[in-house]
Amino acid sequence: MPNQNTDAEAALQKLGHRVRLGWAKKQPISDKSLESVKNTVREQWEQEQTASRTSKPAPSPDKDQKPKPPEPGLEP
Amino acid sequence: MDDLIKLVRTYRVTAGLAERLRLAEAIFRQIEPDLRLFVFSAIQSPAAEDVLQEILKSVAASLINFRKDTLPAFRSWFYTIARNRLNDHFRKKARDPLQPMPNDEILDLLDASEQAEPMTAADRHDLEYALKLLDGSKPECRGYLWNHYVIGFDYGEIAEEQNLNYDNVRMKIGRCLEEAKSLVA
Repeated sequence: MPNQNTDAEAALQKLGHRVRLGWAKKQPISDKSLESVKNTVREQWEQEQTASRTSKPAPSPDKDQKPKPPEPGLEP
Repeated sequence: MDDLIKLVRTYRVTAGLAERLRLAEAIFRQIEPDLRLFVFSAIQSPAAEDVLQEILKSVAASLINFRKDTLPAFRSWFYTIARNRLNDHFRKKARDPLQPMPNDEILDLLDASEQAEPMTAADRHDLEYALKLLDGSKPECRGYLWNHYVIGFDYGEIAEEQNLNYDNVRMKIGRCLEEAKSLVA
């Protein structure tokens, strides 16, 4: 039996900590998992690049162009 | 795990692909073993490996959108994704009766944990007691105790998984613990 200072909850918490620690030692991330993650990150990044290219307006031919005056009839 | 949330925060403001890949690797090196333990505790192999890969892809794809700043919020977030993918699996395929992790496998993990953290005689004593508590529990209770104490889910996370309310889960786990203690005493 455990000593009086150790209750069931603390013992189970200790077990959980040890199981997770042991699991991480015995089962480090696999190459397959790492590849899945990297492929997903790469695909997402490519989608972002495509989306940002298509959402940017075409560059203006005349950057110094001043704002056009309002269309006739639309002046306040 | 202390630097995990910093990595996550950095990931979401990183635009370059090479840096994102480096950060993603560092993040998943930390969380994949936890997710693997969760999945392999819930599904029998070999389906478990496929489900794990689906979970990793889902977490990786959504990582850039994770906006909170604490480790518990991050854990809760990625375990919610994992539960959703598990539920997708269970919808396609009838849930297999879950076999608890055999004790010799648990003992192997405890031995392996010593490589990271030496164990005292008192630790061994406590761990033996904890194993007896699990062994003495009915399957349903063992599941609750395992998820709460071993996987590390809080009451809210278990409530979400089981479609129960928080207090219901808190009381169930309390009753399971009392029952296990009385059987081992």
